Amino acid sequence: MLRKLYLLYGIVVLGGAGFAQYRGMSLDKMTELKNVPKSVRDNPGSYRAVYMGYHHYTGGK
Amino acid sequence: MSAGTPPLTGPPNPQAKALNCPSCGAAITLRSFQQAVTVVCDSCHSILDAKDPNLQILQKFAVAVGEGHPLIPLGTRGKMRGVDYEVIGFQRRSIKVEGIRYDWHEYLLFNPYKGFRYLTEYQGHWNDVVVCKELPLISSSALSSMPATANYFGEIYKHFQTSDANTNFVLGEFPWQVRVGEHATVTDYVRPPRMLSSEKTGNEVSWSLGEYMYGADIWKAFNLSGSPPEAIGVYENQPSPVSANVKYVWASFGIFLALLLALMIFFDVTARKELVFHSSYQVIPGESKTEASFVTDIFELKGRTSNVEVTTSANVRNNWIYLNYALINQNTGQAWDFGREVSFYSGYDSDGSWSEGSDHDSVVVPSVPPGHYYLRIEPETTPRHPNISYSVDVKRDVPVSMFFLLAFLALLVPAVLISFRALAFERSRWSESDHPPIKLSQSEDDN
Repeated sequence: MLRKLYLLYGIVVLGGAGFAQYRGMSLDKMTELKNVPKSVRDNPGSYRAVYMGYHHYTGGK
Repeated sequence: MSAGTPPLTGPPNPQAKALNCPSCGAAITLRSFQQAVTVVCDSCHSILDAKDPNLQILQKFAVAVGEGHPLIPLGTRGKMRGVDYEVIGFQRRSIKVEGIRYDWHEYLLFNPYKGFRYLTEYQGHWNDVVVCKELPLISSSALSSMPATANYFGEIYKHFQTSDANTNFVLGEFPWQVRVGEHATVTDYVRPPRMLSSEKTGNEVSWSLGEYMYGADIWKAFNLSGSPPEAIGVYENQPSPVSANVKYVWASFGIFLALLLALMIFFDVTARKELVFHSSYQVIPGESKTEASFVTDIFELKGRTSNVEVTTSANVRNNWIYLNYALINQNTGQAWDFGREVSFYSGYDSDGSWSEGSDHDSVVVPSVPPGHYYLRIEPETTPRHPNISYSVDVKRDVPVSMFFLLAFLALLVPAVLISFRALAFERSRWSESDHPPIKLSQSEDDN
């Protein structure tokens, strides 16, 4: 039973990894938006960036 | 059967022989006939000489109040290994280890054609036991820490325990001179699910071979009502539910790993990895208060729905730049918004030189359909900053090694867990033996 389970699990894991790569999935953090107005191209400042002001790190040891 | 064929000969059909106990007068039934050497009166528990026509009393012993009755009543018939057997004897025996008494039960089974076999029970763990056909070969280990072994028909059994056993209670009939209070030195060797046991009484040594059985199988074999007692702990020859799978799981893991590598190579070779956009920019001091956002030229993403990698490289030295990105489809308005930081710091202190961060960063945008796209970029940095140059590269359809790393870990974790479970089972088994596994706390105490 355990053997069959691991076999099935392994196939699912391999299939999942292959599917994720084929579909071009990513683990990076981002936000998908719909219907961004075409006017952004002419007026980039009209677009409100989701991650604006996220940087707080001042760096250094 | 033809007329010329002689009738089959063999042992007579078993018939119970009725006698009376000379001590209390209770009826005694002999089930194994001439095979019985001693018989115990069910009523007064006198041990009688079954070879004597008058059933001479050999021993009387007091039965403690509440002395448990056999789980399989005497006279019960059942099928073991395809042969009918009857339970004719029962004894309770015990050993003492570090002042603690451990009791187990032995049932004597009889078939007039096949002879005797035994069932032993300890805390819900059962063994089907037969007398050895050959003497095992014992080998002492050169290393004192390693247990001795017994070789029986080419199979190696490891020494488990040697202890002095005492007979505490008997019932029914036995093909030997049974006595309450009888002592024997019992030595067990194990090779799950089997075990070899030697019993030394005086100069006489007898060997038996046991095979682990589950209570449910015993109950089924003897058609007993109710359910068997629950097995407690790990018995010395109990087969591990996971040990047998360890080799298989690791072999499967190896195959999966090879397939994973093949998959990784396949995607690396077949990925487009097409550079679709490259441009360089600058953030100039004094311009931070003006509108910093801008859009790039339009670039085309070809092929099937796939990922897009955006790489930022900047000449930051003890500084940082944060970029608000939006990858926008020119026609549909679909967009992916994300922010990335590029920072690099270095210096020198009492520990020596140090550095942290990197002058470049990559991010993978998931599942982007083909089409015409542009980037909206809005850089941020410290109010007082030097001139920072940065470049942006956009690549279509890149392999993401993180998926394969996660898949590797996902395959590895169950294999490790199964191995640990098998190890824990074996540790539990051997902790009850003469060769217990070394405990970490014990070794620390020794130091």
